[in-house]
This record gives sequence, C-alpha cells and structure tokens, in this order.
Amino acid sequence: MSKNNELVDDLVAKLKRRQLVGSSTVAQATLKLLIVVISKSNWTTCNQLLTLVKSVGQRLIQANPTELAVGNIIRRVLHVIREEFRDADVNASQNQPEFQSAPLTTSSSMYNLLGETGSTPDDSNVQYTSSLRSNIIQEIREIKDELENIYDNIKNQASLQIHSNEIIMTIGRSKTVEEFLKMAAVKRKFQVLVAESAPSYSGQEMALELSKAGVETTVIPDSAVFAVMSRVNKVILGTHAVLANGGLVAISGTHMMAAAAKHHSIPVVVCTGLYKLSPLYPYDEDSFNVTFNPDSVLGFEEGDLIEKVTVTNPYYDYVSPDFVNLFITNQGGHPPSYLYRLIVENYDPNDHTFDL
Amino acid sequence: MKIHTIVSQECMSVGDAMRELDAKQLIDTDFILVTGDVVSNMKLDRVLEEHRARRQADKSAIMTMVLKKASPLHRSRAVGDGSLFVLDQASKECLHYQPVKAFKSTRQDRRLTMNMEVFDKHPEVQIRNDLIDCQVDICSVEVPALFTENFDYQDIRADFVHGILTSDLLGKTIHFHEVSDIYAARVRSTQMYDAISKDIISRWTFPMVPDSNLQAGDCYEFRRGLVYKEKSVVLSRTSVVEDKVVIGANTQIAEMSVLSNCVIGKNCVIGKNVKIDSAYIWDNVTIKDNCIVKQCIIADNAVLEEGVTVSKGCLISFNVTIGANTTVPAYSRLTTLAEDADEDSDAELVSEPAVVGATGRGRSFKEAEGSDDSDEEIDPKNKLVNRLAYDMTALHLEDKAQEDSASEFESETSDLEEEEVNPAEELDREIAQTLERAFKDGHTVDIAALELNTLRMASNSNFHEMRKRIVPSVLKNIDVTAKAGSGKTVKEILVRWGPLIGRMIHDEADQIDGLFILQRACATLHNDFTSAKAIFAPALRYFYDEDILEEDAILEWYHDEKSNQGTEIEQKLRGSAAPMIAFLEQSDDEDSDEEDEDEDDE
Repeated sequence: MSKNNELVDDLVAKLKRRQLVGSSTVAQATLKLLIVVISKSNWTTCNQLLTLVKSVGQRLIQANPTELAVGNIIRRVLHVIREEFRDADVNASQNQPEFQSAPLTTSSSMYNLLGETGSTPDDSNVQYTSSLRSNIIQEIREIKDELENIYDNIKNQASLQIHSNEIIMTIGRSKTVEEFLKMAAVKRKFQVLVAESAPSYSGQEMALELSKAGVETTVIPDSAVFAVMSRVNKVILGTHAVLANGGLVAISGTHMMAAAAKHHSIPVVVCTGLYKLSPLYPYDEDSFNVTFNPDSVLGFEEGDLIEKVTVTNPYYDYVSPDFVNLFITNQGGHPPSYLYRLIVENYDPNDHTFDL
Repeated sequence: MKIHTIVSQECMSVGDAMRELDAKQLIDTDFILVTGDVVSNMKLDRVLEEHRARRQADKSAIMTMVLKKASPLHRSRAVGDGSLFVLDQASKECLHYQPVKAFKSTRQDRRLTMNMEVFDKHPEVQIRNDLIDCQVDICSVEVPALFTENFDYQDIRADFVHGILTSDLLGKTIHFHEVSDIYAARVRSTQMYDAISKDIISRWTFPMVPDSNLQAGDCYEFRRGLVYKEKSVVLSRTSVVEDKVVIGANTQIAEMSVLSNCVIGKNCVIGKNVKIDSAYIWDNVTIKDNCIVKQCIIADNAVLEEGVTVSKGCLISFNVTIGANTTVPAYSRLTTLAEDADEDSDAELVSEPAVVGATGRGRSFKEAEGSDDSDEEIDPKNKLVNRLAYDMTALHLEDKAQEDSASEFESETSDLEEEEVNPAEELDREIAQTLERAFKDGHTVDIAALELNTLRMASNSNFHEMRKRIVPSVLKNIDVTAKAGSGKTVKEILVRWGPLIGRMIHDEADQIDGLFILQRACATLHNDFTSAKAIFAPALRYFYDEDILEEDAILEWYHDEKSNQGTEIEQKLRGSAAPMIAFLEQSDDEDSDEEDEDEDDE
C-alpha cells in the first residue's frame, strides 16, 4: 500500500512541477498508475474500490487541474468499474429468476431515465470472485490500447475529410493533426498553411514536420490568418481538451483562427481523441487556462520595463462550441451538439465531481 | 533520495561550511552548491552535462557558475552587491571576478585590476556588469579541499573565485553557464525579498508560482490581474482586490478595504476601510479599521490597532502591537525582543510609546555594534545599503530622492578619502622602527637596506620617500657634542650609516634630491646654525669623498634657486657650502680649461 502511495506521490509531484505535460502523456501516466493501484491494493466491494480510485484521482486532479485528461481517464476507469460490478451483479442474479429485470447496460441511458432505476451496484456488499479483478484490469487495459491506437483511428478518417487540391489551415503543433495530415498526404495532394503560433512558435515545428513528410507547407504569421482565410477550404485544429458543451481549450491563437473561419464561413474541424473529452463545463473563459512565464513575450533582461508593465502569457484559448463544425474522434465524426451523448456513454454522472 | 542535514554551530560563512564538509569527507563526486534562499525554476541537467564534459577534457576546471543576463539596474539585482565578471565566451571560462560595492569609498573599489596575461591567452574577453549571479554552482570534489587549504576564504565569490582566478600557483579554472530563459535569484536582503516576490507574482518563476500549490495543503487559484487567492478567503462585497495580490487561507477582508501589489498570509484579519499597498503581511496578522499600510513587512502575529499608519520601509517583527492612531515613521524596525536579551535571560521588554503608541508593545531595534568582527572592513555605508535595502527600492520609485541620497553619500565619501593619509604615516612609523632596530642591534648596512627596500615595495613607495625619512633618522643619532670614540660623533655615524643613505641614491637626480633633503634635515634637527653646520658640512664632505654625491650634483644643487629659499638656517647652510663649491668649481676649471669664468660665483 505504501508502495502505491509512493507512486501516487511521484506522479503528483511530476504534475505539480509540470515535468509531465500534454494530454496524451498525462493520460497514459494516469492509466498506468491506476492499473498498479487497482491490482495491488486490497478491496472487496464496489464502494471500496470506487473510493480508492476517487481518492487517488482527487489528488492527481488537484496537482494540476488544467490537465483535464487526468480527470477524464479516472472517470473512464470509474465507469468501467461500475460496469463490471453491475455485470457481475447481473450474472449473480441470473441464478435467481426474479432479478431478470435488472438494467443490462448503462450505455442506454435513456432506458435508465425512463425505466426503473433498479439496484445500483454501489449499494451491494456482495463478495465477488477473483475473476472480477482480472476483468476490471482487462477492461482498463482496453482503454490503454485505445489510447495507444488513438492516432490510427483518427487518421484513418483523413481521406474522408481532405480532398485533392484543397488548402488546409492549422495552428500550433498537435500530434493528432500532424498524423491526420500526413495520412491524407499519402493519397491526396493538398496545401497546408500553418500559423506560427507565437510566442511558443510550435507552428513552426509543425510546419517542419509536415514538410519533411512531403506535404506542401507554408508558415504564416498569426497576424496574417484573417487575410488568407478567404482562400482556405478547411481549418483543421488540434486541442488540449474538449469541454462538456463542445468548447475547446486549445493553444492560444485558436480562437482568433476559428473566429476568422466563421467570418468566412469556412468549416472548422477538430481532431481529438475521446480521452480529451471532459464532462466539466467552462463557467468562465479563464477556468482551464494556464498563464506561462512572460519571458517569451517580454524578455526578463528588460529590467526597467518589467517593473512598469504587467505581462501575461496565457497558453490556451477558450473556443466556444459555435465556432466548431465537426469533431473527428477515434469513434468517428460528431457535431458539437452530439458531445453530450459521448459524455453519457463514457462517464458515469456520479463521477463528474470527486467529492468523497 | 535521502536528505541529510548537517548542523554545525561554528559555521559562520560558506568557507566554514566547506571546510566542515572537507573535514567530514562527505562528498566524493561533483556536487551542486546552492544557498538555501535561491529561488529558481532551472533544470540543472544541461549545466551538469556541460560541467562533466568539461571535467573530462580538462581536470583543472573545478567549478561552473550559473549567471543570468539582466540589465544593470534590474530590480532583481541586489543593490550594493553587484559583481564584475571577465569572461571568455569561446571557452566559457571566467577569467576574473570582482565584487562591486554600491558606494565605492576607496580607490581600489573603483578600479578593476586584472592580470595582463589574461589578454595573451584569450583573444576575446568580455567584461560584464549585467549578470545576475544566481548563486548556483556546480563544484568538483576539489572545491572543499581548496577551502581547507586557503583557510581564510569565507565568501564563495569574493574570496574563493577571486582567489582561485588570481592565483598563479593553483592553475585551476572556473567556468560559467549563462542562462536567459530561466529564473534564478537569491533572496539576500529585504530589497531582494521584495523584488523576487514581485517576480514570483508576475510568474517569471513559472511553474514555481503560488497556483502550482507545490506546498502540501495549499490551494491557491489564479485569477486575472495576477491575483492569487486561496479557496477559503472571505472577501466582503465592497472590498477591492487590485492587481498583483496574493491572499492566504482563511484570511478575512472587511468592507471598503483596498489591496494592491501585496502578499497577505494565512489567517489574517483585515478591518474596514484599510488600504494596503506593496506590503508583505505574514500569517495571523490583525489589521483593524482605517489603517494605511505601505511598502513594509509585517511579521506573524503582529497587531495594528485602529487608524495606524505604517510608512514605507518599515519592518514590524513578530508579536508587535501598535496602538491606535499611531503613525510609524518610515524605515523603523520594531521588535518585541528585550534589549540585550540573551536567549535564556528574561529581561523585560521596555516598550517605546513614541514609536508603538500608548497601548502598543514593542521597541525600535538597534543593531548591536561591532557584533560581527569579520565584516570590519566593509564600508559602513555599504552595510547600510544592504540593511536598508528595502528602503532603496522605495527610493528607487522616486528617482530624485535616490539621486539626492546618492550625492550625499558621494560628498561624504570624498571627505573620507582626504582624511585617508594612513599609508604615509604607516610608512613613517615602519621606517623609524626598522632604523631604530638597526641602530640598536647594530645590523649591517646590507641587512638594513634589504629591510628598507622590502618596506618600500610593500608600501608601493619610491626612493624619494625613503630618503626623506631615512636621512633625518640617521642624522638624529649624531650628537654634535659627543667625544670621539663614543660612537656618536658626526664622523663615526656617517661612516657607519652613510652607505645606507648611499643605497637610496642612484643617479644625479637622486643626488640633488638627497642634497635638498640633507639640507632640510640638518636645519630642522638643530635650531642653531652652528650645530646644524657641524653636521651638514662634514656630511657633505663625506658624501663627496665617498662618491655618493658627485660634483655636478652638488653644483647643480648649489645653483638651484630652491636651495636658497626656505628657512634662514637652510639658507645659511647653503652659504656654508660656498668654500666647497669654490673648490669644486676650481677643480672643475682645472679639469676643463675651455670653460668660461663662472658668471655666478658668489
């Protein structure tokens, strides 16, 4: 148990010090930790296990609340645990015919709302067989596989979205978008404009990677986005997180690009893995933002100046859902209005907040 | 990772600590040396790699210092604690180091003295005054040993780095690593405390910022306008939190209070209509209604009653209470420690109502004088800058005030310089002592000359100064009335010590100078002409006979108008030399017939 605590402390410290950043890295680290915690600790009932995972999750989320993927993975795992216990319940009750009416799955949430609520597994104190533990681990490993194959699932939809001789615009460096465009370039010939994304200039790296893969790429300054938008056929964006309303937390500059696209009625497509989809709702625009070191905006050497001015360097933008036309996830393409469905399918409503 | 704490009572400086480490032999690899008050978000792996690579290539590279570029008047540079670095960018080597004081009272402080050889070895050299010394060093195992060898090294920079770089014998080199995109600075004074706090609030130290909640139990949230607030803070509806404010857990702020540019700790209670600006308020502080607090530090558990005004630059220590409607004057430092209280004696605190008000508790703090003898050489003004550093930032906000105070210091320093005639006096004393010893113990002329020459070099003096002092000292031993055989007659003394004077005379200019000195010395030693002459004439004769003074020089002296000026006795002495001059001129004429009859034969 203390070994587990050590592992949790280690991940918490890494998240706090920002030694681990980026949705995909933190998601994988969280999942790895949870597998260890669940397989190594003692639990007998559903409630015990849920409490255990929640307490670890709470610490991880507090360590860096802006890495929403951590919370998403924990909710996914909680959901899996609930499902498995429910299945075990159902299996147990099959021996007793009167429990036939118990809910079969929770994925049909409409059924839950309208039908009988039945007995929830949280209340059960039934002792479970050891196969349950391995089943849960198995399910979590499936999430892990999903995370590892996420780019394949997304990029396979590339040829549906990108057509020959199109001009695509993007911003910043997103691994998902990079894979997506590279895949499209295998079959089709098109042109990509990349906004350089000051002050991190990750757009420049992105352009370099794309041009190495043989995609015809042009870097443009962020200020030119609006000017060239009229010639663009499609805007393809990466994102740090997708919120419950379909809004994005994405690299700064994204909002400007999305607004320019809306002005010119250019479709905006967001490529994202489902692990970035969070059931949290943005109550104000700054809620999931990170303000970085102002060094890249105004050098620390400018001693006289930095005393007189305040420089803020927000890393993310909030992009409201009405700027986005389509989400391409590892489960296919969805409009923003459909996201609530995905949230219900992937997370249990009891897990949206982690109050123990 | 294991953390070992080593406690040592005797450690008063970095040097002591390093010697302690060397004595205990605790370190056997390269190590990172930082002071406990460094604030940084730096990843050290790159510097470490660089250091290791350098060590592989060259075993003499013993240390890598981390330096950060900043403008010379940057707020995060300690006032009065700057440094001059002489660097070679190509080899990343630091060639020379010199600390820079805020007020340069001695000439040495204003100059950079470095070895010329540096320019032979390094074609391109940078002399930099725009670097923040981060006080993060990667040291090799040799460093503690070097501290033990040089047992007088205290400071890592002023003594160690300077010492290593100026030493020809050690042959060690010190390198540097210049960083630009990371933050590192050391809280070494209250002024730096202010500057670094501002840097943290402005997020230059990211991710080491309050909302990262690195300390367990913290739960700060970041808001627009650089406001950091714990979840449990109670802000009343009409209170105003302006930019750059940090508020700790469970703190309450009542109606109409205005906070700006300040840090407020945990469990504080701030009353109604209070104005707080640029202040640092620690934990459990109570500030009652209508107080005004500006640019100061208020420590734990302090209480400000209603209507107190704390002006800029104040330091209010733990548990101080300030009575109602008191105005604490600027730059006061208040404490509740009883005067002269040792740790175990329980001397009663005598409150000073003048500073803390009638109902207050506390007294103004006076620094014990001469408490640290190691700092004796430090200019008191420079100490003042460090100590009142917080005031300097306050002054910095008002440029004019700073200029005034600076010029004030300037004029004081120039006064100080004029008074400083010490080296000359010191030389006088040393020479007198040396000669006295020589006379008493009967040293040979060789030994005496050697000693005097050493003195001359040590004090960086010239032969003129030496003659000026030696001649009178020698002549002083002559007793005009003494009988032959006593060892004190003119002749005996001259024979014994004349050669010593000769050692101080080399060319003709020296000889002429020597004559003037002789003339003056005789005149000042004896008030009556006869006894003066009784020394002067034989001395002149002796030096001429011994070829210490040549005839050209004597003639030159005689004809120089200056020899005929001065006191009456001096003039008469010159006159007394007339027969000799006549003799010399005659012999001169005989030597060279073609020379004209002298126009000035008096």
